[in-house]
Amino acid sequence: MSVRHAILGLLAQRPRHGYELRAAFEAVVGGDTNWDVKPAQIYTTLERLDRAGLVACISDMGEGEEPSRRIYAITPQGAAALREWFSTGVAPQHQRDEFFVKLMTALVSGETDLSRIIQTQRVTLYRELHAATRQRDSYNPRRAMAQILLLDKASMHLEADLRWLDITEQRLEEVKNQPLPEPEIRPRGRPRKGSHESKYPPPERVRSNQ
Amino acid sequence: MSLIQTENLTKIYGCGETAVTALDHVNMQVNAGEFVAVMGPSGCGKSTLLHLLGGLDRSTEGKVSIDGTSLAEMKDNDLTKLRRKRIGFVFQFYNLIPVLTAIENAALPVTLDGVRPAEARQRAAEWLERFGLGDRLNNRPDQLSGGQQQRVAIARALVAEPALVLADEPTGNLDTKASDEIAALLRQVSKEYGRAVIMVTHNPRIAAYADRIVFLKDGKIVDETLLERKNGDNAKMLADKIKRIGD
Repeated sequence: MSVRHAILGLLAQRPRHGYELRAAFEAVVGGDTNWDVKPAQIYTTLERLDRAGLVACISDMGEGEEPSRRIYAITPQGAAALREWFSTGVAPQHQRDEFFVKLMTALVSGETDLSRIIQTQRVTLYRELHAATRQRDSYNPRRAMAQILLLDKASMHLEADLRWLDITEQRLEEVKNQPLPEPEIRPRGRPRKGSHESKYPPPERVRSNQ
Repeated sequence: MSLIQTENLTKIYGCGETAVTALDHVNMQVNAGEFVAVMGPSGCGKSTLLHLLGGLDRSTEGKVSIDGTSLAEMKDNDLTKLRRKRIGFVFQFYNLIPVLTAIENAALPVTLDGVRPAEARQRAAEWLERFGLGDRLNNRPDQLSGGQQQRVAIARALVAEPALVLADEPTGNLDTKASDEIAALLRQVSKEYGRAVIMVTHNPRIAAYADRIVFLKDGKIVDETLLERKNGDNAKMLADKIKRIGD
């Protein structure tokens, strides 16, 4: 999870205590409106990283007392975990889409006009795109390029979503004329030992998740 | 009163069985200082609408009024005069004259209108400077980037101080960065200089710069969307929308 790795990276920059880490994380992601991380999450993540040996508390212990602020530093294992994270790509999540679920639910329930649902979504996306555009324009490119890049990403995703809505609208008739998606009936309980195949023949339709 | 308004605006090309309805009873109104984007699939009537709004073509039925005067009732001469004084046009391919410099291109509409050349140049220079082209006044179009040429074209559209600017795919020939700059400039034209700007585009990113999007499909307005929530006109907008859906 990236909060964990961001903490490692910020500790690689210099040792910090929890409160400082939270502020530094918010600065990196472009403010708490973009990504609000609760103090509790920072502290529990730090404890977990400490237990795993990726960070260590380096503040001086007073005379048997708890130090008022626990300052953490990255360990060699932590640095290795960070390098590992940098060396791998990030797979985006696209399949779990709330609007798609809404559209399909509308289709199977027959409750609502699908074109209306698409137009409502289009309007929502345009408002978001307008807000992102206005916000991007409010940043000074000489000082806030990182925030501008993040908003560029948001705008481009919104643009792609809008194009996808156009395509969906054009293909709505095809979707309506095709059989409704039906669940595959599987035998109940555990599959019997030695039989790898279902005793029910698979449906003729090609399933996207197979 | 709105600056420009249409009532049941309809345009039919051809007649009899081959007739094509390009625009079908369109009602819209745009106020001074408003930036409106017109969107829709190709062939939905976007360009036809822009031509009718600009008095470049005449409607089959319904009317366009600017400042309360119906364009259909105007004589050709008066219509030409209104186009020159009240409306500025911006096109996809800039339509600059290759042998003229930036300042000469921008000054052209008022020079043709009989303004003294020195004054025309002065006015053109002011708009070009506002649009960041102060050091490009004497460059010809082929010495300018696409984005700069379009800025010259927008300066030319504004030099006669029109109340309305009509832009037909103004970023259609530009890369993403220049497109954003032109869209931001058109927004500035509406907000800072108080002009009504109506822009046809198929680019969602560019449409998002507007205050409002009019969606056209098969020659009809299918939806009208306010992008920014503001006090006052929002309630009216919503009421109009509910009425339309109820119809």
